Amino acid sequence: MRPETVIEMHHVFKTYPNQISALSDITLEIFSGEFVFIAGPSGCGKSVLLRIIFCAERPTKGEVVVCGLHVTQPGFKKIHYLRKMMGIISPEFKLLRDRSVVDNLTIALEVTGYDPKESKRKALEILDRVGLKKREGDSIIALSAGEQQRVAIARALVNAPSLILADEPTGNLDAQTTFDVMEIFRDLHLRGSTVVLATQDMDLLRRYPHRVIYLMDGKKADSMRI
Amino acid sequence: MISFLRYVLRRTLQNMKGNLFLDLITIGIISISMLIFAAFTLLAFNLTHLLQIWEDRIEIIAYLKRGVPATELESLLEKTRFIEGVEMVRYISPDDAMAFMETKLGEQKNLLEGIQPTILPASFQIQLKKDYRNSIKIKEVIAHLKKIPQFEEIQYGQEWVESFSVIVHILRLTQWVLGGLLLMAIIFITSHTLQLTIFSRREEIEVMQWIGASPALIRVPFYIEGLLQGLLGAALSILFLFLLLQGVILYLPPSVSTWLAKIPVHFLPAETIVWILVAGMILGLFGSIVASMRVLKYR
Repeated sequence: MRPETVIEMHHVFKTYPNQISALSDITLEIFSGEFVFIAGPSGCGKSVLLRIIFCAERPTKGEVVVCGLHVTQPGFKKIHYLRKMMGIISPEFKLLRDRSVVDNLTIALEVTGYDPKESKRKALEILDRVGLKKREGDSIIALSAGEQQRVAIARALVNAPSLILADEPTGNLDAQTTFDVMEIFRDLHLRGSTVVLATQDMDLLRRYPHRVIYLMDGKKADSMRI
Repeated sequence: MISFLRYVLRRTLQNMKGNLFLDLITIGIISISMLIFAAFTLLAFNLTHLLQIWEDRIEIIAYLKRGVPATELESLLEKTRFIEGVEMVRYISPDDAMAFMETKLGEQKNLLEGIQPTILPASFQIQLKKDYRNSIKIKEVIAHLKKIPQFEEIQYGQEWVESFSVIVHILRLTQWVLGGLLLMAIIFITSHTLQLTIFSRREEIEVMQWIGASPALIRVPFYIEGLLQGLLGAALSILFLFLLLQGVILYLPPSVSTWLAKIPVHFLPAETIVWILVAGMILGLFGSIVASMRVLKYR
């Protein structure tokens, strides 16, 4: 039986007002439960592709369907509904620097209706999973880059998303932290989540053999399995 | 729904706590603007009240021609009583008029010594029905009275009441024009301070958008913040106005306060206070909606 499609892109183009083409004629499908790498050198359009998937940007042309929702339809207003099903990890982490580690997670739970007590219990559970339970009360600025990355991952996971979009999650991390972070993604994949991970780290592709969608100058090279 | 309300109220309080200085400045500016509007409302309210009291006291004095025989008086009184709008008619003889003048002059009544009451004309003191104590209706009664040939002259205090009512109307117009400008200023101030608040919270808003918070969940705390700013600003303006009124009454020079003692001074009625509070809330809310429409775009 053919697995359900989670992400579909049909002839997607993205051109910025200065005529710089970020994506050109991208057509792809990502299926439920897949672990897919979006790979390519810096500036090839990986981040733009992910940003289009989670609706932070709109393509100039083409059709995008995510979790069954036609996100490119004019007047699409279910971005928040779509993002609740996703866990987004950005290279800038997007953490609240004036809040504690645990507060950065509880905010994600409270917006989905959890009461403060329950959200704290759940947040601590996830922090334990990423090895940061002991740092729950620490301020974000007191953490190392690797620890901040793990908090960002923990926040993305806290609502048990079915789709995880991670943009360079291991960038600037040492080998051990990279391994720890990748183990978390592997664990999520084994639990049934769809993981889409953008990276330019070729070593990572070799160590974790999954389908790779390779981008070059905004164009898609053939998908390959390393 | 309960968790939504609980969350937005908590967020609102957190926002206000985090931007306390900015919020206090906004509330202060709103209260000063509303105070100006409320002061005009209070002035207009009291002058209108005064106008009503004076209108209630309006009466017509119809002076009789000399030589009207006493036998005609009864039928003339009857004729006047039957004019539409007339409530009561009283005959004032020259002697009554003299006695009235003596009462009015008080200790200086000796000024009237040697003056014969007969030099004063007899008159009819005509009181009007309540509906007729206004500039339009009183003229109808005057028109009827002028048709009676036995009357020499007809006087009524309407002319200066009319002038006073024009002043009250101008004051009311100023109140609403100034009020309109102040209301726009309040929307502008609330909207801009909330834009600053939103800007100071842009990181958090962005994170909330990333984690799938609904637009309502992000916007409603700012709406409530604007609403509370408006409500608190309006409430403070009423409090300031009350204290100002008490202060003015307390520190008036004795000559002015003796004169003012004859005029009843009221504070704004409860209904008007409620309207001012509601207006403050609506303006604050509107300002926050304008702010969020400008800067709170879901990305």
